[in-house]
Amino acid sequence: MELRINQKAYQVEADADTPLLWVIRDDLGMTGTKYGCGLAQCGACSVLVDGNVVRACVTPVAAVAGREITTIEAIEADDVGKRVVAAWVEHQVAQCGYCQSGQVMAATALLKHTPAPTPAQIDAAMVNLCRCGTYNAIHTAMDDLAKQERAL
Amino acid sequence: MNTRRFARTAGWLALPCLIAAGLLAWYVTREPASPFEQEQATTFDPALVSRGEYVARLGDCVACHSLAGKAPFAGGLEMATPLGAIHATNITPDPDVGIGAYSLADFDRAVRQGVAPGGRRLYPAMPYPSYVKLSDDDVRALYAFFMKGVQPASEPNIPSAIPWPLNMRWPIALWNGVFAPTTTYAAKPGQDALWNRGAYIVQGPGHCGSCHTPRGLAFNEKALDETGAPFLAGALLDGWYAPSLRQDHNTGLGRWSEPQIVQFLKTGRNQHAVVYGSMTEAFNNSTQFMADDDLAAIARYLKSLPGDPQRDGAPWQYQTAATDARPGAHLYATRCASCHGLDGKGQPDWMPPLAGATSALAKEAASAINITLNGSQRIVAAGVPDAYRMPAFREQLSDTEIAQVLTYMRSTWGNAGGAVDAKDVSKLRGHTDPASSSPIILHMR
Repeated sequence: MELRINQKAYQVEADADTPLLWVIRDDLGMTGTKYGCGLAQCGACSVLVDGNVVRACVTPVAAVAGREITTIEAIEADDVGKRVVAAWVEHQVAQCGYCQSGQVMAATALLKHTPAPTPAQIDAAMVNLCRCGTYNAIHTAMDDLAKQERAL
Repeated sequence: MNTRRFARTAGWLALPCLIAAGLLAWYVTREPASPFEQEQATTFDPALVSRGEYVARLGDCVACHSLAGKAPFAGGLEMATPLGAIHATNITPDPDVGIGAYSLADFDRAVRQGVAPGGRRLYPAMPYPSYVKLSDDDVRALYAFFMKGVQPASEPNIPSAIPWPLNMRWPIALWNGVFAPTTTYAAKPGQDALWNRGAYIVQGPGHCGSCHTPRGLAFNEKALDETGAPFLAGALLDGWYAPSLRQDHNTGLGRWSEPQIVQFLKTGRNQHAVVYGSMTEAFNNSTQFMADDDLAAIARYLKSLPGDPQRDGAPWQYQTAATDARPGAHLYATRCASCHGLDGKGQPDWMPPLAGATSALAKEAASAINITLNGSQRIVAAGVPDAYRMPAFREQLSDTEIAQVLTYMRSTWGNAGGAVDAKDVSKLRGHTDPASSSPIILHMR
């Protein structure tokens, strides 16, 4: 089947029920997207499908054939994603960094739908887990992005 | 009244009592007749043994008579009854603890009548009220399989924990007299061969009613075939709600086509649902091994059982969810939507829809609560474990949160199962806690 990832077409051979995450990481070698729990609970494997955040570990690859997939590798090619990464760097959000590609994807998806989220909306949407406990830094970076948007 | 007259009257009264007691004693300990009395089976054709293995698959004997990590059919599954725990027995051909010394007639009496050699009655946890429908040919094949196809294992039987006098077995003979049929399946004239084959499997070896038919006060299944309206109408047991298999639009198979029923039993999933709860075991050990013809027969038969609109409620129709500020809506979006979709439509056939799901439409919320607390068991289809499994939320969500998210799920997208009470979550949490002292009661199946 053909997958469209980061504006490129890939031919992949995989069973219909293979999780998208395995195809991205193992077959296509894009290892920026991480495996965390495998149960859609932590969010480390978040990618964008048609601009919505999905958890790649519980997404059968057949379900996303022909749709536009964005992974962390190309997030800076997206205007919103680029601003998120810049804010992440400015606020030095990451500690170990394992969950952060998923956090950036979740943040990008939120800002695409809600460009200037309130603190409550940030808390409601940013539910990916982080074992380092960078939640406050994430919240600050997001709040900053929302304020920039309101100032425009 | 003088003494002599009294003695004479008492004598006249005692005589019928004695006769009645004698008759009763005979009735409750007798070995019922078997058509195999004169048949000595000693050599077994390999084809018959393999046919018997298939019948054992249809009957899912392994479900109760085997434990993980132990020899197949060596017994051991504990079933807590309200009187105390009983254990499934060793049915390997071991001559001492197993059934190696059983003649074909002994075997037949145990399987179809629930009577062990010597007249001891089995508990109806053994589904002999269903197995009685087995044909003579299938019993003969099953015997051949258990004698030659199963390795003897010397795993000793575990005595029941039911105290005297409740552990006396003879009253079961009276229960049998009232509730257990005594005749094998007879093809119904006016129905074609496919329907009759389906009826045979569903009522007989498949013993679907053990879980799916509601039980009466004496733990008897309220109906054992399609002539009774409660047959396969859905029942609560073991902390799960086994849904209706009748043509109920919401809680039964009304929206399922025959090929979809076949697909479900063959692969464990279809666009409506994925097996979970006790059905996972039935799928892993039994239904996926059934021949395509037999699955088609089952589907044909089940589709012939009418639903009950009164019990089932107004027919479900998908409705788009409105913006919802309830805490359950946010829990759903963060905990459930990745797999089951914000729109509740799931990712068929891998992750089931919750919109229109039986667990979201049945009044009984047990299945929804149970799977949220404990997740799903591993589904192994054609030797391959499933790629996606429902995680257990026991440690992640409180009783209140589970009640909130299930209330949301059961009242959105047209679902009308109704609210879930945190107290019910708490109760089931206790009963399904592996460390609990009041574990879930496994009923007869």
